[in-house]
Amino acid sequence: MNLGATIVRFRVAVILGLTLLCASLLVPGFLGATTLSLGLDRGATVGLIAIGMTVLLIARQIDLSVGSTFALAGIVAVMLQPSLGIWPAAMAGLIAGAAAGAINGLLVVTFKVNPLVATLATMLIFRSAAHWLTDSQPVPGTDIMLSVSLSKIHLGIFTLRSALFIGAVLLLHVWLTRTVAGRNLFAVGSNAEAAKASGISPGRTVFLGFIFAGLFAGLAGVLQSLTTNTGSPVFGSELLVAVIAAVVVGGTRIEGGRGSALGTLGGVLTIASLTTAMEFQSVPAYVQQVVAGCILILLVVLDRTVRPGPRSHAATGGTH
Amino acid sequence: MAASGSALRMRGISKTFPGVKALSDVSLCAEYGRVHAIVGENGAGKSTLMKILSGAYPPSAGTTEVDGAEVRMRKPADAQKLGIRMVHQELNLVPDLSVAENVYLGRMPRRRGFVDRAAMLRDTKAVLEELGAAIDPKVRLGELSISQQQLVEIAKAYSAGPRIIVLDEPTSSLSEHETAALFRILRTMKAAGIAIIYISHRLKEVLEIADDVTVLRDGRLIDTRPAAGITAAEMIRLMVGREVTNVFPKTPSEIGTPVLKVVGLGDGRDFQDISFEVRAGEILGLTGLVGAGRTELARAIFGLTPASEGRIEINGMAAAITSPAAAVKAGIAYVPEDRKDSGIIPSMSVRENISLPVLRRLSRLGRVSMSADRRLATKYTRDFAIAPPDPERRIEQLSGGNQQKAVIARWLSTSPSVLILDEPTRGVDVGAKAEIHRIIGELVAGGMAVVMISSELPEVLGVCDRVVVMRDGRASPPVARAEFSEERIMALATGEAAA
Amino acid sequence: MTDASAALSEETGSTRFRKDGRWAALLSRAGLSIAILAVIAYGSAVSPVFFTTGNLVNVMTSMAIIGIVVVGMTFVLVVGGLADLSVPATIACGAILSLALQPMIGPVPAFVAAIGLAGLCGLVSGVLVGYVGINPIIATLGIGTIVLGIVQASVGGVIVYGTNPETAMLVKSRLFGIPTIVLIFLAVALAGNFLLARSWWGRWTFATGGNPKAAEAAAVPVRAVKAGAFVITGLCSGLSGALLGLTLQSARPLVGTGYEFSAITAVVVGGVSIMGGAGSVPRAVAGLVFVQLLTNVMVLQGVRTPVQGLVLGLLIAGAVALDVALRRRGGA
Repeated sequence: MNLGATIVRFRVAVILGLTLLCASLLVPGFLGATTLSLGLDRGATVGLIAIGMTVLLIARQIDLSVGSTFALAGIVAVMLQPSLGIWPAAMAGLIAGAAAGAINGLLVVTFKVNPLVATLATMLIFRSAAHWLTDSQPVPGTDIMLSVSLSKIHLGIFTLRSALFIGAVLLLHVWLTRTVAGRNLFAVGSNAEAAKASGISPGRTVFLGFIFAGLFAGLAGVLQSLTTNTGSPVFGSELLVAVIAAVVVGGTRIEGGRGSALGTLGGVLTIASLTTAMEFQSVPAYVQQVVAGCILILLVVLDRTVRPGPRSHAATGGTH
Repeated sequence: MAASGSALRMRGISKTFPGVKALSDVSLCAEYGRVHAIVGENGAGKSTLMKILSGAYPPSAGTTEVDGAEVRMRKPADAQKLGIRMVHQELNLVPDLSVAENVYLGRMPRRRGFVDRAAMLRDTKAVLEELGAAIDPKVRLGELSISQQQLVEIAKAYSAGPRIIVLDEPTSSLSEHETAALFRILRTMKAAGIAIIYISHRLKEVLEIADDVTVLRDGRLIDTRPAAGITAAEMIRLMVGREVTNVFPKTPSEIGTPVLKVVGLGDGRDFQDISFEVRAGEILGLTGLVGAGRTELARAIFGLTPASEGRIEINGMAAAITSPAAAVKAGIAYVPEDRKDSGIIPSMSVRENISLPVLRRLSRLGRVSMSADRRLATKYTRDFAIAPPDPERRIEQLSGGNQQKAVIARWLSTSPSVLILDEPTRGVDVGAKAEIHRIIGELVAGGMAVVMISSELPEVLGVCDRVVVMRDGRASPPVARAEFSEERIMALATGEAAA
Repeated sequence: MTDASAALSEETGSTRFRKDGRWAALLSRAGLSIAILAVIAYGSAVSPVFFTTGNLVNVMTSMAIIGIVVVGMTFVLVVGGLADLSVPATIACGAILSLALQPMIGPVPAFVAAIGLAGLCGLVSGVLVGYVGINPIIATLGIGTIVLGIVQASVGGVIVYGTNPETAMLVKSRLFGIPTIVLIFLAVALAGNFLLARSWWGRWTFATGGNPKAAEAAAVPVRAVKAGAFVITGLCSGLSGALLGLTLQSARPLVGTGYEFSAITAVVVGGVSIMGGAGSVPRAVAGLVFVQLLTNVMVLQGVRTPVQGLVLGLLIAGAVALDVALRRRGGA
């Protein structure tokens, strides 16, 4: 019983450990520095987006448009390179991401549209905008050497992207657990009415949460475009399931109020090692999708069935 | 903090919503170190007045003074800055944060930019101890019982060092025992010079705790006077505008053979080894403290969360109740505890709400017969005097009492032999309460067996033929009407010897 | 419900609301008819092709495929199931299997088996949502990914071609000048409307969407009703996919991509509430008609595909925001 509870509590670590074990047994040289750094770099894209998604899910929101934001920000960053130069264009890409998040926030907070529907709509809108800007063609960047330098491995294992991801996750952890704003985020997700009555503004919190999520999706998109030296309107269309799977594997609850940054880190690493292992074994992409989907469903079902819930009638009514 | 004198003065407060006047020209004066009770039927304007006081709504007219200075409150934060704290009827707590974080929600102490958790835990512990509540400040709030959460809510208001505390129906989820503990806390606060505004339906409690009483009716101020010179009957007369002589009249009925028999029922968690029987024409009261397992027992008998041990017999035959559908088939009907939460379907009409359990019987080849559906709804709307008498109206537009009547009506078309009512009159006004009692009386007179769960002792003693008291998931032997007394029931409910 | 309206109905239970509610309902209903007429008028004015039998039959044919999905999706929204995002997978399931199984078991059994399997996928999603209590978006997203992967794996991840041209002829045939496929859609819509608006199952669906706890306490088998909505959507999109496969005589794994959004757009634009407990098949179909006519006018006007997507996205957001605003005014 007690062991079971401990396993449930630290299941992210258990799952990650098992995944790494299986992967290292099946894939020779999986635990080598090169493979790990490659896997980590791959995972960082999902991870950066998952950081924003973690914040939104804790606040009982969701953003289905992150994949489209990812593509749009990357396109902006590449298309503006000739006129602005590489770094200002990258900044513009980030701003585009944050702006996309702000549009979602506006729909949800000001117009009170259900976040699922709102971001479903903007997912379509941002994706269409990406196609429109590029005429549905990939756009090349100006400096092909940049992608090489961005992919350089530092300290034997980190690329710029993966270092950014790890740093951001650790900062998020401190922010969520130690700061007033972080705690208020949980309050808003758990019971928005109560938070409001205590002088916390749920609307503001949610709005900023969407901007945060848009910014990080944008950051991931800009980095993707710079490392591939391409902006493409089809980028990121398959990311959503992986991102949600990573966050949910990490123990963040879809219904709001619970979640952790370290959990998300564990979830991202799990998904990344799975993907990497499968790629090394030349497993077709669609089978990888099946595995990602199965993990997502399995974890959510597990969470539902073994969650140490409150006593039957002691549960308070979370209003919505 | 001032020890005495006028804390709050509201003058000529009116509130108009589009097309409706919710409050007109209401004045109120609360003083430091006194408990000021506000009573009135549902819809009398109590909640609106409190929302104005807490800054949730601006008044359409009138002024509010705190410590003699006129103030304007546009949002809850404004009221909080003035030292006004609310203890809401619906708990305003965050289940996923710790007790300490809940107490300090919106004003957590900081140290170097981070939450000062040590200070927060220390101070919360001190406040909870002062209030006599044994609750660990580190535990996740969602793991506490409702009454413990209520105490946390009070600790939250108290720890902010308020000058005025407003409690809106604070005892609605507390047992009598816990209510007594709450009153001790209120007296502590009173002694500390806090002005307390206390809103309640329960006149007995008002008489016990209040120094002053204000009666509202239809959005108007009827009277404000010292509690010392007023009786419950007088308050009721002021509230409803007429004299109500017997609050809980008992309809006589003939008691027959056992209909529902429960033997050794248990779910391995909330209740164990429950045995009792209910006879035709009888109202069996089921009372006890909140959390004693009454609702869980009722849900098990109705198959919502089937029991794991014991058996249920209907008319002498063993019945396997594995789902609500099976319970309905066996002749059991159930009116759940919280009408808004699990009684009515707000988006549907009264007609659709009533015919829900018998839809398949009203159908041919899958199609619901509209004429049969209408006939059924019209019949019960008339029989139960549901107002307004229009079955096509959306049920959420009816008053609480009329909604409850429709929920009871829903079951009669299944011709049940046992009706289980869980707190059927909670939150309905005095007039509707009497009507619901009349309906229950008619049902038992017609030979139905009724199990009525209620926390309100006067109601239980007034209406029931026998009472089973639950404590910590176990049931007492039934107490017969001849042996009824509040002391006896309370002794069984709390496990303390009768005084 | 906002605080003010809650207080209002609490304090008065006034008769005003009914008027307001009706007014809002009337406006949103009439609004849609006016919008449809406006699109028709505009289309006829700007394009000589628009109001021709050929074009309208084309619109109806393409509408039929999505329309079948729309009928199912209406059940999901009304029951409070938010949305079924596994539609692209179940459509692919219907399209690919109805063609791939033809050589093995014959066209008709293949058709039935494809729809049955799609219904089975819906059942899995439905069980996860109804019985296990998983968020529908997550459940259908996950199941959709899995199903799509399995379907691709089963045919080796390639495009499947039809082997039985007669079936294509049958699907493309016309009865009284109306394409068979449109008649099938109309039959599905009528059946769906009967089920939702007239049958006890429909009443249960509304009750479950309106207040699941109260429905359960009124002996409605809410878990089964929730699961049922996803089974219905699975069957509908399987049928839609099978018809699509037979029409095209080829099926790619991504054949159903985007259909979930088209269906949700239609349902939401038709005024079916995403919060559950309200809506109807005719309204959803009206939403579909509007969206399809609008798209058609845009195509005829040479509006580029991305811009069409942009307009549809704005339409969803706008329709829902309007629904929220009207509800708040209506106090419902």
